[in-house]
Amino acid sequence: MAARRTRGMTGSDLSRATVARATAIAELLRYECSILLELYRKKESFTADVTVTESRLVSVPPPSSQLETRDKLWCLHSALLQCRSFLERAIAKEEEQLGGGKKGDYETQRKMVKERLTILLINTGELLKTAGGVMVLTPSSEGLELDGPTILFELKLWIYRIFEEVDYWTKTAITTLQALPSVIAKERARTTRVRSMRSARR
Amino acid sequence: MVLVKGIMMIPWLLLVSLFCKSTQDGNGQESGVLHCGAQNLKLTGSDQMILLTWEDTPSCSAVQDVLIYELEVLIADKKEHYDEVAVTPDQVGSTHSWNWTSYLALECASHSVRLRSRYKNHTSQWKQETRPGHETSTTQVYPKGKLFQVGSTATFCCVLPAGEVFGKMSLPEYSSADMNTTRISNQTYALTVHLNQASKYSCTDVKCELIPDVVYGACAYIGNPPNVTDLQCETRDLQSVDCYWTDKDSSLPFKSPTEYHLLGSPTICAKWPETRCSQEVRVDARVRNWTLTASNPLGEVKLSDTADLTERVHMFPPEGVTVLSVNARNVSLDWKWTVQQYYNLSLICQVNIKNTISEHFGVGLNFTVLNDLIPNWTYNVGIRCRTAQHFWKWSSWSTTVNFHTKGDVPDALDVWMQVMDNQIITIWKMPRANQSHGRIEDYEVTWTKTTQRERQNRTKVAPNNYSLVLSLDTTVGYIVTVTARNINGSSSPSTITIPSSNPDGTKVNTSSIIGSNGSFNLSWSASPTASCGYIVDWCPTLGNCTVEWLKVPPNQTNASIFSKNFKDGLRYTLSVYACTRGAPVLLQRREGYVREKKIQDGLFKSVKGQQQDWDYEVSWEPISLREQTAFIQGYVLYCLDNNNNKVINFSTDNPEATSLTARNLKNGSYIFTVKARTAVGECGATSITATLNLLTDNLIGTVFIFLAAVFGLLSLITIVCYRHWTCIKETVYPPIPKPVLTSTGEHGCRHFQVDQCHYSEADITDVPELYCRAGAPINGFVSQENMPFVFSQTPKGYYNQPLKRFTPPPLTLPSTAIPSQPGLPSSPFRREFPNASYNLIMQPGNQQSNFCPELQEATSLERSSDGYQPHDHTETFTTNQTEEDPDSPMSCVSTYILLPQSSSR
Repeated sequence: MAARRTRGMTGSDLSRATVARATAIAELLRYECSILLELYRKKESFTADVTVTESRLVSVPPPSSQLETRDKLWCLHSALLQCRSFLERAIAKEEEQLGGGKKGDYETQRKMVKERLTILLINTGELLKTAGGVMVLTPSSEGLELDGPTILFELKLWIYRIFEEVDYWTKTAITTLQALPSVIAKERARTTRVRSMRSARR
Repeated sequence: MVLVKGIMMIPWLLLVSLFCKSTQDGNGQESGVLHCGAQNLKLTGSDQMILLTWEDTPSCSAVQDVLIYELEVLIADKKEHYDEVAVTPDQVGSTHSWNWTSYLALECASHSVRLRSRYKNHTSQWKQETRPGHETSTTQVYPKGKLFQVGSTATFCCVLPAGEVFGKMSLPEYSSADMNTTRISNQTYALTVHLNQASKYSCTDVKCELIPDVVYGACAYIGNPPNVTDLQCETRDLQSVDCYWTDKDSSLPFKSPTEYHLLGSPTICAKWPETRCSQEVRVDARVRNWTLTASNPLGEVKLSDTADLTERVHMFPPEGVTVLSVNARNVSLDWKWTVQQYYNLSLICQVNIKNTISEHFGVGLNFTVLNDLIPNWTYNVGIRCRTAQHFWKWSSWSTTVNFHTKGDVPDALDVWMQVMDNQIITIWKMPRANQSHGRIEDYEVTWTKTTQRERQNRTKVAPNNYSLVLSLDTTVGYIVTVTARNINGSSSPSTITIPSSNPDGTKVNTSSIIGSNGSFNLSWSASPTASCGYIVDWCPTLGNCTVEWLKVPPNQTNASIFSKNFKDGLRYTLSVYACTRGAPVLLQRREGYVREKKIQDGLFKSVKGQQQDWDYEVSWEPISLREQTAFIQGYVLYCLDNNNNKVINFSTDNPEATSLTARNLKNGSYIFTVKARTAVGECGATSITATLNLLTDNLIGTVFIFLAAVFGLLSLITIVCYRHWTCIKETVYPPIPKPVLTSTGEHGCRHFQVDQCHYSEADITDVPELYCRAGAPINGFVSQENMPFVFSQTPKGYYNQPLKRFTPPPLTLPSTAIPSQPGLPSSPFRREFPNASYNLIMQPGNQQSNFCPELQEATSLERSSDGYQPHDHTETFTTNQTEEDPDSPMSCVSTYILLPQSSSR
């Protein structure tokens, strides 16, 4: 198992280019998220420091420095998957409950964030696959509280929470992805040491 | 007695018993009614309305009059409303209900209703029912998702669980002036708002913010009842009615969009934001009301339009427009109608071809021919139609169809001529695409003398050339013909007759013209010779002239000349010719600028200045036309005096002038600036600087001449005097006889009083003696002692003794002389002794002086041993001594005048 894990983590496919591309996409998503939040706050007259709630919608194990790269990627990918599910649901609920109305800047930005998140997911999925992880959403989409509130104002707050959640996990993605190259380098070095020790034993 | 009393008591007893009876009866009924009241109270409600139901108690059945129920509403234990319900006897026994709409949502606070009956001023006990407010573990805002009309006032409440701290309630985009927050109870707050804005998005948020910053809220839909206007109904297919309208304020699009129903049909015809709908009807020729009902939760509006739909046919556009046959100058089109009934209608169709619209008529019109097309030309055509009888609307334009006409021979060319020296230039305009009808292959020019028409010369010109220069004898007239040729053939010939250049021909005067708005507006007198109209040609007056021209029909005697080649500030010559059967006849010639420009500075060449006394003439070379970018109307000469910066100007209105004179100038430096006066201002400034110094030169010259003249004169006099000295001397200084002194005593006449000596020349001559006597004061001068003016002398023994040395001092009066009388005038004192040989001059002065100064040093005499001094040494006090007796001693005693002896003596 350890050998498989090592092989996975040190795979040459987990290239810096892929990580860099994923990081760039995450940074772009973060920027687009900030604009989306701003537009939503403007639309709903929310102040920037309004605290909707302290609890998180996305449930994944808390990030830890002790986690292996693959596990970190798994956590990130899982969180982003949940974000996209929430975002899709939020868009649907908003259209359904609050009306589509005119397609303005907000609606355009919302669509852009959703599409960018999908692209990021593809990239983190590739990284996870390269790292030998399993692309399973935990908890499953059925387990997520995707219905949202029925009261309109609470629905608005819920949508805002989802946007904030996407923003939070995008930032987390940037941090995680930026830390990956050094981890890869260290683990490559460790792998090299293990191999040399084994060959020495032989 | 007792009996009587008893009999008397009976009526009283009867009265008392009757009273008691009646009282007992009344009390029994009263007590029954008082037990009448409400029972089975039930308080329900929803949103903001409470509903109370109750029944009467059985005892109420005895009530024979109106029974009143009094109701009091308490919100959060505070009395908010009072009401009464009247129950008539026939309603007694039934279940009563009463409702009331609270200003607050029922969830906000407890709503209690107290009820009691009142009958004839008797009231029952209060009975109360309470509907508690909503208690929640999280903060809630009520009402949620309610619909409000713009302009109404609404109250929202924020219910906080225990322990939460209220911050504020608000609606975005509402000012605090429109909102009022009140406290209902410990944990309940209310916000009353005047709703004056419709919800912009889905709904308007009502926020309740806690401390710290946590937001809760509810949504409120704020909108308007339908506001439908401008209903118009028509038919398009003659089988249904189409109505459309405008709805401005139905701003509840999502929650409850306005629904539209046509002709009272329960079926929804359209929903906002749609503003048109259609419904099948039988279209017949009668006027009907077409009614639209618009409704939303806030209201309903009905709108009608009265119309006969057969007069309101809005046709669909023609379909399948096809070009059937295409020729060079005409084409035929046809199309189809999607509605079969259109084939039975009398129609008008418009064909839009190159933004030119032509109209075509016919029943069920679906075919037309387009004429007067340009050969070899691409067109796109659109068609729209309407009913001919009752104009309602044009259909929309059909989809356009393109076609290209066939080619044809070119149109006849527009030919003109230009005669220059011995050259005849035949020029024609390049045929435009709509004139060439195909690519021009070449031009053919033929010419012949007007006198020998049978001899024709012919040449071909390349398609990119539009003129032909012929070196011919211009004293003879020619007929030139030009044709253009393309693949379809040659154009009809264009002929121009070139007139012979007769030097004695009629000349026309040239007048000026000024353009306006970048063009020349030219007009001329009609000419009877202009059988085929007029030709106006123009080209720059100077330089290479590429003539342009315009042909004007015979009935027109004016033209607006415009050319893309026109340049501002360039002079053009415009000529008007009469078009005749023969050669064109020149009628008028004009010169002018399409727009005058300021002439650049430095216009004047070879500017020279010439001073003429106190005038200064500035001259320049004649100004060439090439440098004139505007008509020169005259010139102005500015003289700037450098000393005082004063400017004076001199001007002329003669545009031909080549000089201007500044007059009456003074000495000094001047800057002379000459400018041309034009319609666009003074321009073309050229300056010279000049210094005028006439006065100094003349003065110096005059002085020199004067000095030279004086010098010359003196020299001449000197020479003459030198040459004729002897003669002059004889004449001026005749020999003076030696004086003979006749005095016998030393003190004979020691002092003589000048004042007493009134001599005339004759006297002196005749009486050459000294008179010593007292007399009247001279000139009124007297001494203080009233003595005659006496020159006191202080001789020092020099009397009649030779002087060793004598320096002739100025003649001064001795200081010891008689002082002047106070009050005497201090006029210069001069005294002369008129004598041909002697001039004794007294020095003027007020001071008292010795008449004869003391001779202290007789150097002169010493030097001149003979004692003679020249006569002209008037500045020295001398005694006359003759040359003949130079050794005779001479005393300078003023008291003596040594006079020559009279010859007679």
